[in-house]
Amino acid sequence: MEDYWKLKIEGIKNSFKNNTEYDKWKENVLNPWNKKTHYNEKKYKNSSDMDIRELYTEDDLPDNMDKILGNPGEYPFTRGIYPNMYRGRLWTMRMFSGFGTPDDTNKRLKYLIKNGETGLSIAFDMPTLYGYDCDNRRSTGEVGKCGVNVSSLADMERIFKDIDLSEISTSMTINAPAAILTAMYFVLAEKNNTDLKNISGTVQADILKEYIAQKEWMYPPEAHLRLIRDMLAYSTKNVPKWNYISVSGYHIREAGSSAVQELAFTLADGFYYIDMGIKSGLNIDDFAPRMSFFFNSSINFFEEIAKFRAARRIWATVLREKYGAKNPKSMMLKFHTQTSGYTLTWQQPLNNIVRTTVEAMAAILGGTQSLHTNSYDEAWALPTDDAVKVALRTQQILAEETGISDVIDPLGGSYYMERLTSEIEEEAYKYFSEIDKMGGILNAIKSGYIQKEIAETSYRRQLNVENNNETIVGVNRYVDENEKPINTLKISDIAENGQVRGLRDLKNKRDNRKVDETLDRLREAMRDDSINLMPYIMDCVREYATLEEISNIGREIYGEWKEPKIY
Amino acid sequence: MNIDNLIEGILNGDNRSIARAISLVENSDPVSRERIIKSIYSAGNAKVIGITGPPGVGKSTIIGNIAPMLSDYGKVSILAVDPASPFSGGSIMGNRIRMQKSLSRKGIFMRSTSNRLYNGGLSEYSWDIVKILEASGSDFIILETVGSGQSDIDIMNIADITCVILAPGLGDEIQALKSGIMEIGDVFIVNKIDREGSYIAIKDIRETLNLSNKIKTPVIGINSIDIENYDKFLDYIVNWNKKNYREKYVRKLRQIVLEEIYNKYSYYIDNMDYTEDTLKRDPYTTAEIIIDSMNKIIDKSTYK
Amino acid sequence: MENGKNRKYTEAPIKVLLAKPAIDGHDRGIFVLARAFRDAGMDVIYAGLLPTPEEVVDTAINEDVDVIALSLLNGAHLTAFKNVIDIMNKKGVHDIAVVGGGIIPDEDKPALEKMGITGNFGPGTPLKIIIDHIKKRAREIRKLRENEYR
Repeated sequence: MEDYWKLKIEGIKNSFKNNTEYDKWKENVLNPWNKKTHYNEKKYKNSSDMDIRELYTEDDLPDNMDKILGNPGEYPFTRGIYPNMYRGRLWTMRMFSGFGTPDDTNKRLKYLIKNGETGLSIAFDMPTLYGYDCDNRRSTGEVGKCGVNVSSLADMERIFKDIDLSEISTSMTINAPAAILTAMYFVLAEKNNTDLKNISGTVQADILKEYIAQKEWMYPPEAHLRLIRDMLAYSTKNVPKWNYISVSGYHIREAGSSAVQELAFTLADGFYYIDMGIKSGLNIDDFAPRMSFFFNSSINFFEEIAKFRAARRIWATVLREKYGAKNPKSMMLKFHTQTSGYTLTWQQPLNNIVRTTVEAMAAILGGTQSLHTNSYDEAWALPTDDAVKVALRTQQILAEETGISDVIDPLGGSYYMERLTSEIEEEAYKYFSEIDKMGGILNAIKSGYIQKEIAETSYRRQLNVENNNETIVGVNRYVDENEKPINTLKISDIAENGQVRGLRDLKNKRDNRKVDETLDRLREAMRDDSINLMPYIMDCVREYATLEEISNIGREIYGEWKEPKIY
Repeated sequence: MNIDNLIEGILNGDNRSIARAISLVENSDPVSRERIIKSIYSAGNAKVIGITGPPGVGKSTIIGNIAPMLSDYGKVSILAVDPASPFSGGSIMGNRIRMQKSLSRKGIFMRSTSNRLYNGGLSEYSWDIVKILEASGSDFIILETVGSGQSDIDIMNIADITCVILAPGLGDEIQALKSGIMEIGDVFIVNKIDREGSYIAIKDIRETLNLSNKIKTPVIGINSIDIENYDKFLDYIVNWNKKNYREKYVRKLRQIVLEEIYNKYSYYIDNMDYTEDTLKRDPYTTAEIIIDSMNKIIDKSTYK
Repeated sequence: MENGKNRKYTEAPIKVLLAKPAIDGHDRGIFVLARAFRDAGMDVIYAGLLPTPEEVVDTAINEDVDVIALSLLNGAHLTAFKNVIDIMNKKGVHDIAVVGGGIIPDEDKPALEKMGITGNFGPGTPLKIIIDHIKKRAREIRKLRENEYR
């Protein structure tokens, strides 16, 4: 396997020609000019620590370009996965939202739909993401703060009140308790008499990146992976329009990685899920087409675009060559993009609108399938209605006024873009090889290797900012001494109290004997690894067993995860 | 709180007193250190369990698992030594991360300490800290070394039982075989036996031990995920006889005396009046002359 | 380096506990701080994710740190930081400084200061300012403690 990666690395190396043209120009034109104008050469680098030259020439185009580029809709999909791209269908404007009580969130979702949003994306609060109910002592002060709180099916019913689940697709950013929230969504559809065949959406359910970056876990990896396997098998059979995994680099990047690390670790996770599907007896062409990806779009414009293009090329190549996929749909890397939260500054927040715009442009030029644009006030708090509107309008302006989406992959063939795409691809292959040497991505995560790579990159960048080698406008340059605070969204404790009261009422009202019965059955089923747990979890959910009650069965059987030491 | 209160606190097993006394011993002037150690020296009787091995083999995880089990047999305390950065002298001590939950449940005292660039796998005052933990009523003291592998040999001077942890697949077993840590182990633990290559690792270690006349030294394969074979490991620790006390005492005494001599005489040597004659003479001869003059002082005194 | 002989207590490396005392997985910043504190010559204990306030205080006591540095990015600082302070008060721990940071709006700062939590640094604060503040608090604590044992 290692040999395959080495072969790919060699292939890319060999596709680069000598930079005769550049060298000649540098010697005859650039150097004399620099000397005359007393310009001291300095190194330019991107986020991935790659050297960036001041000029790229025809020599930088790989010599096998016709093969590795392909046209849109053709293998290896470097230029885009659909033949007509945004002319056929614009990217989905999907704003990640959720805060306070389910009712607050229901109101926000309807507001966004009214303003032209075309897909829903739910953000959950911290207790929900870790599988705790709102009335757990540890949840105090956190209910509804970073997203909406869901402690039982009753909360899901309120979030989607008067929203037709067969009409709009929903994405849920949930990982550790993904199977439970998915079960809630399915049961909700059943209760609304919506056929499971007609609902569509995505559940993130990418647990590997939780251990790598977002750190929202409950059990050790093996337990979560089993639940993902069960979801995968259940939805493949029963919910044909459900995307059961969104392999995410977003959080890896936010945790401090470079663009290359984001790309490499995310795709390595993706390969792991492919292996897992194959091992569980599924045909790769049955499940691979329903995998999707989720990337970050950060501030280094060209690097980001190249990253998206390299991602498509690597995924297609490896799925075809290494895994033997036959269906082109298996090879197409579909992805959602969110602009970078890390690049938003607390200082001079209106500047964030500009950052988000540039990042959104990179995502569009990179061929994203859906896009979330951050609001300018998100370094402070969850966004206000007004701030969210500006973020959504940013996408609408880019889509309908600027013409940047009129042409497919408009940067294709650019000397710099093609060279950068190939170099990023090469760096990713190097990481794959490294990870294989460590015994695969799971071992690399358990040993803390991946986490340490990211922490080191993040620290290096921070030092660059501290030493003014890297500029952040408003933070280490052009600082305003007398900044005034902006209006932000406040989530009062009323939300928490209301949720806690609601849960207490629910526990009094529901049939507690039935709840215990379904939980007991789930416990028993969980002990047998060959059983698919989805129907059992759906039974619990149907009886209004709470998120924590269901999560605790897994805690009993699998224990809780302890993170490795990375320093 | 003064030092007398602190000493009383240590003897009563009060965590805050123990913790503060350790800080004073590590950070303070020799006067406080000597006062504390002299007062608590004969108190307590603990078995000291050394845990050593290369980085990444799962030492902290093993301690996190074995410490709560051990606490069914008596009071357990843990001292974990971390390496200091050679550039800044600072350190990041992350050993608690994997143990915290189980320690809290069982009320186990744990302390992290930086080696402050002291060689040998422990910190300069590890022995003194162990004494404090012993006086606080610990029955078992687990002592985790820095884990740089080859040079972690000080542990054998302090521990009653030294456990060398290895894991298959990282190439560490080969390193270990070559280096000194094969010599110091009383028990060898091969962690992660669910991994490929563990059988070969165990076999290699066994053979190397046999070749160095350590046929009776146990080699135990364990798995930290499902706690496989931990009972065997626990058995060895609980039933292991304490080391020859005299041997350990003499070693420590030797170290302290040498340090005292060094402290006393280094100043004298640095500030000696060096005549032209001395400077012309080779340093070996001068050294002999100085030692001779010291011997005369020692001969006159009456040590018993 | 001085190997510790005849060193004064006030001059020994500062010991800091870094902790996120709530349900909050955003640990990018805390790792940057851990590295930065180490590179400033401090001994750093990292509590890992999801410690309870009790665990934070117990760790601080056992490790006998000079400063507890609390950080949260999830908006729960007022409740969660207070939990830590309450337990410290209950246990009578008054000789460990507590410093805060994270996404803390200006209007929350007076309440935190009143609890004795200083600093309360927001995003984008230069590391040097944080380090200097920790050093200052640690010096105060060391002075306080040193007088006890003379």
